[in-house]
Amino acid sequence: MTSPAFDQPATVDEHDPFFDTAARIAADIATPPDETSRRASFLALSGDVLTAVAEYDESGETFPGHYELSRFPNFERAVVTREIQVIGLSELGNLSSDGAALVTRHRIRSCALIPVVSGGVVAGVIAVSARDEAGFTDSQVRQLATLAQLVGLRVGHVAADQALREEAERSQGLERLKGEFLNIAAHELRSPLGIINGYVSMLLDGTLTGADERKALERIAEKSDEMGRLITEMLETARMEALGLELLLAPTDLMDVLSDAMRAVEPLLGSRHRLATRGRRDPLPVMADHLRAVTMVLNLLDNAVKYSPNGGDILVAWSRKGNVCHVRVTDHGIGISREQQSMLFTRFGRLVTPETSHIRGTGLGLYIGREIARLHGGDITVRSEIARGTTFTITMPLAPEAPLAGV
Amino acid sequence: MDDDVKVLLIEDDNAAAEMYRLRLIADGYAVVVADDGEKGLALAIAERPDFIYLDLRLPKVDGFEVLERLRANPQTAAVPVIILSNFGEPELRERGLKLGALEFLVKADTTPSRLSEAVSRVTASKALPSV
Repeated sequence: MTSPAFDQPATVDEHDPFFDTAARIAADIATPPDETSRRASFLALSGDVLTAVAEYDESGETFPGHYELSRFPNFERAVVTREIQVIGLSELGNLSSDGAALVTRHRIRSCALIPVVSGGVVAGVIAVSARDEAGFTDSQVRQLATLAQLVGLRVGHVAADQALREEAERSQGLERLKGEFLNIAAHELRSPLGIINGYVSMLLDGTLTGADERKALERIAEKSDEMGRLITEMLETARMEALGLELLLAPTDLMDVLSDAMRAVEPLLGSRHRLATRGRRDPLPVMADHLRAVTMVLNLLDNAVKYSPNGGDILVAWSRKGNVCHVRVTDHGIGISREQQSMLFTRFGRLVTPETSHIRGTGLGLYIGREIARLHGGDITVRSEIARGTTFTITMPLAPEAPLAGV
Repeated sequence: MDDDVKVLLIEDDNAAAEMYRLRLIADGYAVVVADDGEKGLALAIAERPDFIYLDLRLPKVDGFEVLERLRANPQTAAVPVIILSNFGEPELRERGLKLGALEFLVKADTTPSRLSEAVSRVTASKALPSV
């Protein structure tokens, strides 16, 4: 800020009315009613005292007792040139009745329009009236220029403060969620780890023999896979946050993806769940990242099992309509309420209710799954009813021209 | 051979329950499994186990509530209970012990053989004639 070269006291006091006025104007200018409008504070200068008279909005929206800036002579010139425009009474002649009333009421003889620049743009205009036909002295003009600079600085600070505050809130929210998430993730990894350790110890001390030995090794393999998937989920999410997900698209038969996913969920079905399928056995050619697509479908199947604790059928149905294919995964479980649905696809959208607090999982699956679907040019949507069940639908564009390997 | 000692496992993770069952049976115990809190309470009364291993995170009725109800019911109040959980937080451990659990074991750090050891230790001391 340039030091003012006029009749001001040498020491600058922040509680000086000059600064207070500047601060107030800055606050007003910094929060315009909408992004495109600019505001002007209309002040009366009497000696060295600036008094606020009225506030204006460029868009034509008027505030109580305010005046349309577009009618204000030289307003545009002030904005474009970024130079103070001083208007004499004769130029004030072309006013509306409101304006004329204002001029009369405040005995305005001349007016200075001072553009306020902040962040490289004109954030607002200070319109200052004088009751003296002689207009403004050089000293007063310099004073007003300084005021405008001060206001400009303050406007910048207010905006920056606001942005910083919002960013801090967002970060805090994120940090809290991240902490909870790390907690959940660590616990999720403990379960399969416990099983692996347990079976390994029993194999080492010879407790298990014959068929039991075989079963133990199969369990270890399953739990190992589970840990691998959990870790991949967490890493994928971290990567997605940093870089965005990159898919390796290739001609793929979606039917292969479905059968791989169904095979992978087999060990989780237990005695209470059954996989049922519905759809034609023809190939569904798509451009897809096979591995990611399997992850996406497997996550839906996994959820279907977890959220239907009383067991039942899980239906996988596929169909084509035009050049889009749909894959639906339906369970007859506890369902998802409307409010919960809104959080469903977010990063930490685990539905934690008394009914679901015991369910394992990081909550990342659907977030990642939908990202994957969208990057394939498709989407995942949900339809659900409490206590009746849930259907997730994956839509994917078909790519019939793409030749399928081995088809 | 303690084959008249019956252990009730209240554990919703099928893979974990199966693993502990295998170990306990190999060591000569009879084992019953409940995969939610409600069934756990029902079996605690119906089967009259000599020992209960209780998971905390359970469907229908969670572990702490199961423990409270076990202690509140004269039929089950005296059965030794050890909590088997993957939550290691000290507050949870404290709460479990305060509610009357004998011990609080973290599954990931507990090998299945420890389960049998604990059962034999506790039931052996119970079998000692009071002096």
